[in-house]
Amino acid sequence: MKRVSVDIGGTFTDCFVVWDNQYVEGKALTTHHNLALGFNESLGDACKQLGLESSKLLSEVDSVRYSTTLGTNALIERKGPRIGVLVTTGFKSTIPLSRARGYGEGLSEHEQMDIPNASRPEPIVPIPMIREVRERIDYLGDVFWKLDEDDVRLRIRELVDSGAEALVVMFTNSVVNPVNELRVREIFLEEYPAHLLGAIPMLLSHQVAGRKGEYARGTSTIMDAFLHQTMYHGLGTLELNLRAQGYNKPMLVSHNSGGMAQLNSTDALQTVHSGPVSGIAASEHLAAAAELGNVVATDMGGTSFDIGIVDQGGVKHYDFNPVIDRWMVSIPMVHLVTLGAGGGSIARYDRMFGSVELGPQSAGSDPGPACYDRGGLKPTVTDADLVLGYLDPKNYANGRIPLNPRRAKQAIEDELCDDLDMDVTETAKLIKRNVDAGMANGIATELRTRGYEPKDFTILAYGGNGPLHACGVANALGVSKILAPPFSSTFSACGAGNVNQMHIHEMSTWTVLFNPATKSFYNQYDSFNKGVEELERRGREDLIRQGMPTDQIRYRLELDMRYGNQRVQTAVVTEMNRLTSQREVLALMDQFHKSYGARFGEGSQSPETGVRINTIRVCSYVEQPKVAFAKLKLSDKKLAPPEPVSQRTCHYVGQDKALDTPIYDDKALVEGTRIPGPAIVTTRATTYLVEPGWTFHAAAQGGVWFIKE
Amino acid sequence: MHDKISAEDQALLDKFLADNKMFLGPDPEIMRNHGVAPRSEAEEAVLSKGFDAHRAHHIRGLVNAALSESFQMVNQMGAAPGAKWGDLVTAIYTANGNLAMIAPHGIITFAACAFYPIRFIIKNWMDDPTVGVKDGDGFIHNDARYGGVHNTDQSMMMPLYYKGELICWLSSTIHEGENGACEPGGLPAAAESKYDEGIKMSPFKVVENFQLKRDLVTFLQNSVRDPKLQLEDMKVKLHAVMRLRERIVAILDQFGREALIGTMRMHLEDTEVEVRRRISELPDGTTRVLQFMDSSLRENIMQKISVAITVKGDRMIMDFRGTAPQFLNRSVNTNLASFKAALATGLLQNIWPDLPHTMAVLSPIEVITDRNSIIDAEGEMPQAMSLMPLFKACVAWTIPMAKFNYSLPKKYSAIIASQYDQAATFIYGGLTQHGDVTGNFCGDINGMGQGARSHADGEHSVSPVFGFMADSGEHEINEEDTPIIRLGAQRLAKDRIGFGKYRGGMGYEQIATARGSGLWGFMTGCEGSKFPSAQGLFGGYSCPSYQLMKIKGINIFEELKKNPNVVEVFDIIKLMNERPIPGGKYSSNDMGMTFELCSDGEIYMICQGSGGGYGDVLERDPALVMKDVREDLLSPDLAREIYQVVFDDKSLVVDEEATAKLRADVRRQRLARGKPFDQFCKEWVTPEPPAHLPYLGSWDNNAEIYASSMGQRVKMPADQMQGVFMPNPKDVAIMQLEGEVEKLKAQLAECQSSK
Repeated sequence: MKRVSVDIGGTFTDCFVVWDNQYVEGKALTTHHNLALGFNESLGDACKQLGLESSKLLSEVDSVRYSTTLGTNALIERKGPRIGVLVTTGFKSTIPLSRARGYGEGLSEHEQMDIPNASRPEPIVPIPMIREVRERIDYLGDVFWKLDEDDVRLRIRELVDSGAEALVVMFTNSVVNPVNELRVREIFLEEYPAHLLGAIPMLLSHQVAGRKGEYARGTSTIMDAFLHQTMYHGLGTLELNLRAQGYNKPMLVSHNSGGMAQLNSTDALQTVHSGPVSGIAASEHLAAAAELGNVVATDMGGTSFDIGIVDQGGVKHYDFNPVIDRWMVSIPMVHLVTLGAGGGSIARYDRMFGSVELGPQSAGSDPGPACYDRGGLKPTVTDADLVLGYLDPKNYANGRIPLNPRRAKQAIEDELCDDLDMDVTETAKLIKRNVDAGMANGIATELRTRGYEPKDFTILAYGGNGPLHACGVANALGVSKILAPPFSSTFSACGAGNVNQMHIHEMSTWTVLFNPATKSFYNQYDSFNKGVEELERRGREDLIRQGMPTDQIRYRLELDMRYGNQRVQTAVVTEMNRLTSQREVLALMDQFHKSYGARFGEGSQSPETGVRINTIRVCSYVEQPKVAFAKLKLSDKKLAPPEPVSQRTCHYVGQDKALDTPIYDDKALVEGTRIPGPAIVTTRATTYLVEPGWTFHAAAQGGVWFIKE
Repeated sequence: MHDKISAEDQALLDKFLADNKMFLGPDPEIMRNHGVAPRSEAEEAVLSKGFDAHRAHHIRGLVNAALSESFQMVNQMGAAPGAKWGDLVTAIYTANGNLAMIAPHGIITFAACAFYPIRFIIKNWMDDPTVGVKDGDGFIHNDARYGGVHNTDQSMMMPLYYKGELICWLSSTIHEGENGACEPGGLPAAAESKYDEGIKMSPFKVVENFQLKRDLVTFLQNSVRDPKLQLEDMKVKLHAVMRLRERIVAILDQFGREALIGTMRMHLEDTEVEVRRRISELPDGTTRVLQFMDSSLRENIMQKISVAITVKGDRMIMDFRGTAPQFLNRSVNTNLASFKAALATGLLQNIWPDLPHTMAVLSPIEVITDRNSIIDAEGEMPQAMSLMPLFKACVAWTIPMAKFNYSLPKKYSAIIASQYDQAATFIYGGLTQHGDVTGNFCGDINGMGQGARSHADGEHSVSPVFGFMADSGEHEINEEDTPIIRLGAQRLAKDRIGFGKYRGGMGYEQIATARGSGLWGFMTGCEGSKFPSAQGLFGGYSCPSYQLMKIKGINIFEELKKNPNVVEVFDIIKLMNERPIPGGKYSSNDMGMTFELCSDGEIYMICQGSGGGYGDVLERDPALVMKDVREDLLSPDLAREIYQVVFDDKSLVVDEEATAKLRADVRRQRLARGKPFDQFCKEWVTPEPPAHLPYLGSWDNNAEIYASSMGQRVKMPADQMQGVFMPNPKDVAIMQLEGEVEKLKAQLAECQSSK
């Protein structure tokens, strides 16, 4: 296999190259003004390690795959076209009002509580660019107010005259009957044919999201329209750059659904957060290949801590209404929760309870922690790590960022020590203890809310600060095993190399499997099966369009189900792709019963109040060859530690006195090496902190187990 | 007569009374005490040894994670609209019933009320051999007289025993909606006594060995219109509490009983200390605000809520004396315990949002009320629509505290005018299109307009006055479950704003009808149709009053089929002014509508309201005025009339110079109109409320209370206040009609005799 996968992040562009049996990582700073430059440098870094020219590599690889934060950046910078929106009469303020709770979406809990200071984000679509159109459809799809076509023409004209560069149509209940949205597009094309200069795109909400919920579907469509140009130009430039260097196959783009597709089969919205989601995809593949069982993927970076869940039984955890930047959208995105805990998280004195609070404010990378010496005055987690002796001031981030220990100490002393009546070392320990506990609580809540126990999971710790805090998080969580996976510093890029070409299509449905009022069971099999067939058809066409052979296309049917009038929609993955009998209806309800009981507790099920399918979802995919991960089970080999490269005095939570701590380099990564804690291993890519009571076990491919003795 | 009783005899009499209680009703000893109880022996034993604050911090994080997990469970599993859209909570209490911690995002008032029934259980059931409290038990409760907002909320409370010792209590509460009252939906404004309020559960055991008792569940299902909902959400609350229990037991296993006992107690005590410290930061003095409720939801009647906040060092006293008397037969009363819980919510939501959510925030604050007032109602009175005074309690803080906080160097949040404080949402009931009987309310209650701030306009429809991150929902999803069709789902209510230098955040129009049900109806439980609900601050305007509009006697679906152009747009003002639907009976009403049947296609229209404005309208940046005009939130005429801005009609470009001149002129006119305060008082102050005005509350002396009872004005000493009895509005209408008939008869007789 020859493959390049790339993760263009906010700070670094990571590159993961598979060249037959060689796996190589490349890294470069992201060049926001022209992403191709950062990519070329990152690829060059990898090629150098392989002894190859970039052009030779690109002309021979079978695919180049991207995951990118371009969309997130475009949202933050508000780079996008002026959008006009047509909505059903009566729903004019649905988008601006953002379900009331929009004031706090995407903010920290503290900010959400501070309602007097609430502030909605600057809107993507200002109120004057929203127009109402006379039409209405009910929840079953019955048109009870005929579309007023003259009204449509008038409103489109108004929006175009107001400078709209893209149009969105968001009609109520269009997902159950899109006839009016489709007719608006016809009218639009009659009035403004695509061949005319200045032609503008029109997006229909039912084609962007298949799920009910007019606000979330509306924001999804708006965001798609808003990001389209930026994404298309950004990724298009990358594709041209590849062509210029000899790559002549279609470029593939990672999706936040956990799949990927060619650039021309990708919605802009599907790319947002695709980088972190690729990390979860890598975790999924790693878990299967290395037989790790259930896995919780954690990525601790400079500003945030991402958590994702991989169930070995194949249960998929999606966010159906994820929040992107400050907006709730409607898209099946691989579940990912982000906590405000990273190396840059600011520590502050909590006067009320006499302790230290961490985050959610972050010093970010500019000015960064106080020890970066770039003007930051607030103490951060990285400052504490430095004071405790874990970081090498001259060799941080592979020597890219020199650290100033004096600044770190001063910031902690100035902001915290007097109030706490503690010395700087004890205060730094408290910072580490509290940040680790916060991350542990985040993991516990995520798992337990879905019916899992942390002890049944292998925790993967990656990202710049993951292996540094792995033992601390595990101590707080009460688990005794953590894996820092292979290629952990480019894990998301590695993940992009492991996803299938996949498309997800879903539709809202009113399918009552059991109606307690009439004591009847669902028997409209044709209707259900037609729905599934339609979704399969759409997925199939997507894949065929990208040259995938029909016989290799696979389908996975997922049903979101609920009891009575609940809100919860538990996703059930079923092997039954069609319903043909009452026995199958009962089997489906039984499967839901088990899944629900596992999540919320046995006995919590309420089938007697009715069982319903709300959403039918079909994932259509073609399996792609994967990067081969080695078995990562603990090695039987027991290699002695290599010679330490130095020795430092470090301080640890739970240890009263400082401990002499040996420092190792990359040589410690030889499979089978065991190093008892306390110890620190600093490699080109990351720092592994082995706390007292833990042992470092080097596994294959540079993976590292932390085992509590 | 022998009225001298020896101490020994008295003790015997007391024992007899204690042994022979006829009815364990709401206990004033419990219900009137909102303070944190003194340290228990166990707490004292743990804390007297010294307790590590950092350890407490760690355990607090774990408890919070557990509360958050159980909250999410209820939110996701719950079937009641309230649960789906955020009207719920989970919480943990100390062994002696102090509310220690609340799930982040949970409804504070719910938890801040639920410690009362827990104390009731401790006091009455713990040692009662016929009931008892043991591991695996669960108690249910909904009657607000034992603690609670109103009887539509149901709580599940569970004791947690660890190694045989009661360590803490856990609870889960949902606004369930339907509860079998005289009107569907759980908020019966028509209730004339507590017996009209549906099921009234004093705290009783409904769970043993962690299992719901099916006989009792059946009894409760049989008492409400929606047995499906009753069953489903009882399971939800039980399993959420059980999950919370599992997590707390894990904490106890890991850290031991002392760690949890010490953490909860420290959490309460540290919070109390912080509140006192913050009070002592405020300048000494008294600030006041008067609030008015303008309806009993059956008739228009002014009810005063008098608020004076006094700060003396680290003491804060909230004095509500002079407030209107309670109604004997109207549902807008509240008991004091519920009122205090709403005060706690308001303090956390509007003034000190960074404080932990616990009862200790209100514990140091002294609250003075008149017994039998509308906020301290007692006896058999109904309180199904206690939301009316309770929402006032949530916002009571904003204006007086803004005056205390304004000049402080360190503020804990923004200076803000009052939020719109009415439950402006449709309550509904009947048969769904699927044949289910239901009754509940819509999520639009969560979209109240925010008051303007000292630094910015208020946010439109930001949250309810009682909750954080609550959700107004998605109508496509709502329409699946009920026959309600939104013709106007969410349209910002143009011109209906609290004006000011910064304007209040706006509310939105809600236009609803029903389709496909054989039996459906609506009610609305709102005040503020005559007297504005949200007050402005420092010169800002109040919000306007809002009415309920109806178009009856039509079927809009048939009309639209016949003529799709019959309505240009579903906009309340256009519909009411232009009356485009032929044959419709258009009416404007106050927003207190008891349950009314709605035929297919009849139209009901209400508004979520705006928050109050901040500061002088003449100081509003003309650019902000024109932004509102461009966004169609403000008419050009009002931009001129209120804000005194001069601009070009077509381009909307402001003439800055002319505007400045015009505003200077207006200021001069104001000065010219101005009067010395004494003169103003002489001209305006009257010795009594106007005779024609139905009025409840003090006038110029808080010791004297005015009331209208059975149509008669009465005056009574505040310390001997009596409840007010109102005639049935139908009887009043009949009397009026009969009077008219008599007059007509007399005229007829006169005509006949003159012939």
